[in-house]
Amino acid sequence: MKLVTFIHQDRERIGAVDDHGRIIDLNRAYAAYLKEVEGNSDSEAWAPVVLGGDMVEFLRHGQKSLDAARRALAHVATKANGRSGIALERRQVRLLAPVPRPGALISAGKNFSDHVAEMSSRKGPGYPVAFLKLPGTVIGPEDDVPYPPEVKNLDYEVELAVIIGKPCADVLAEEALSYIAGYAAFNDLSARDVIRGENKTGIHLMGKSFPGFAPMGPHLVTADEIPDPQNLKLCLKVNGETRQDSNLSYMIFKIREMIAYWSQMGLNPGDVLTTGTPRGVAAGRKPDQTPWWLKPGDLVEAEVEKIGCLRNRIVPE
Amino acid sequence: MRLFLGSVESFLPHQTRIYTDVDGKLIDLNPAYATYLTRVQGKHSSACELAACYFPPTITAFLERGEQAQEALNEAVALVRAGGGDDLCGPAGEKLAYDPKEVRLVPPLQNPEKSFVIGFSDKARIEAMPKAEIPTGFYKLPQTFVTTGAPVVWPKFSEAVDADACLALVIGKAGRRISPEKAWEHVAGVTLLIDVTARDINKREGLTTNNLLGKNFPSSTSLGPGVLLTHARKDIEALDIELSLDGAVKQKFSLSDGVFTVEQIIARYSVLGIKPGDFLAIGASMTLRGDRLENPVPLKIGSTLRCSSPAIGELAHRVVSAGGTRR
Repeated sequence: MKLVTFIHQDRERIGAVDDHGRIIDLNRAYAAYLKEVEGNSDSEAWAPVVLGGDMVEFLRHGQKSLDAARRALAHVATKANGRSGIALERRQVRLLAPVPRPGALISAGKNFSDHVAEMSSRKGPGYPVAFLKLPGTVIGPEDDVPYPPEVKNLDYEVELAVIIGKPCADVLAEEALSYIAGYAAFNDLSARDVIRGENKTGIHLMGKSFPGFAPMGPHLVTADEIPDPQNLKLCLKVNGETRQDSNLSYMIFKIREMIAYWSQMGLNPGDVLTTGTPRGVAAGRKPDQTPWWLKPGDLVEAEVEKIGCLRNRIVPE
Repeated sequence: MRLFLGSVESFLPHQTRIYTDVDGKLIDLNPAYATYLTRVQGKHSSACELAACYFPPTITAFLERGEQAQEALNEAVALVRAGGGDDLCGPAGEKLAYDPKEVRLVPPLQNPEKSFVIGFSDKARIEAMPKAEIPTGFYKLPQTFVTTGAPVVWPKFSEAVDADACLALVIGKAGRRISPEKAWEHVAGVTLLIDVTARDINKREGLTTNNLLGKNFPSSTSLGPGVLLTHARKDIEALDIELSLDGAVKQKFSLSDGVFTVEQIIARYSVLGIKPGDFLAIGASMTLRGDRLENPVPLKIGSTLRCSSPAIGELAHRVVSAGGTRR
């Protein structure tokens, strides 16, 4: 399933993309299923109890909400035509990030050997490196990124977002993939000049977390559709020109190892881990990085094979 | 005035209410204000709706309501003071005044977007670190928050856990790129924060200028017990904050000892935008004074950790083992 969060008639809703590319409103579709198949006379009140009102709640309900969503989709696949509000055309809705408000957003650093080399930074240590991006910086596939006037060197980083589906603490790497709800494309936007300033005295926080610095989407592909998340191509284009082109197989700490390590702090449904980025970022260009930095007007496309392509435009703030 | 967030036994645990303390009792402000509206203003039909609007289930939402909610608070408290404690009840006869031990407190701020601790900036450290020209902050995940009474759980992955006392400036008015001159207008009050750190992990993460596992495990952030509402700069700067371990004072500071001013800190971090319910916590690490003080304070399993400031209250915790075997 491809799950989405969207705005329709000014309300935030959860949905799934059907075979025709339409957006199925899951709460309305499941209410129709409950009424028409199970004869539930109070179906509109029941549907959100089972599915949850937003994506984090949906994920928290685990297998129960996934099963309900599948039943709802199968039901409306034959009967949705002509019913208002259940199957929506793509242009009728505004897509948000599939998880618009993750509990925690943990982004790996120094996790592709080619990227570590291009940044001329010290080799990564023998344990996973990551930092927190502010969850409030997440934006969706239809949002623009405001270019902050404080920033001189704005960089892109295509990554895979791994969305946690079950509470996990101290899990083993061998079992870690079973805690994943699904995947989305992700762009870890970074203000390199701000980060350099912060690193002088401490840790970087602001340089990764200006408003809109975490585009995610366009949808969440459920884990059952991606048997091997470790072997997917990653690609990033700026104004149609390829800047990053790699594969998740080059990750230093694999997805399962990242989940095992970060589960030591306790992870919850709706928390998001991102994989780190491969080579090709602006900061790694030699000898002169100037032409490579993002600027207002640029269209950035971050694509992960089998997951989807995320397009965001950089606009003046 | 101080605001607390909590629930009582007759409510479900997630059904929180805002309380304030009057004469040793915690007053449930939602029915207290409804009582004010019915008794004093004669508004019978809309009293409960208005009370729910000004005293919603979170302090953050109360702060978002701005000055009108502040006035409603003053009116509710004036009524309680005049009406005298136990006899007073809500419009439907519900209980208003609780014994503090009847209310299960939760962290006063539940899910801030910006929950920053400003660190690495004390005079002592600056001598060793001459490059510290800007305050450096880090983010504490809301899922790590606990409040007074909850145990601080020693994480399995660490051999060295310590604590720092902080004073958190609670934001009451949204803004972005706030000038130093206007900084104080955005402060609604203060609360206490204990920043618990797995120092061995933190040192290791510092090598890559990161700050994650060592600062963000369950119970690594104690917040509360309540929010002292005031934006009077002089009052806030005069607050003395103390951290003690097993009764011995280990840290003592006030904001007037700070290397960076509140104005500088708000000006810098408001570049990202701040809004009601966010906080910027300024640590003891920034303001250390005295010769018997430790920075940070190493913890031991079984110890009692307290952070207090008379006007705000006290955070008290037992340090307990996570159980199980170390990985």
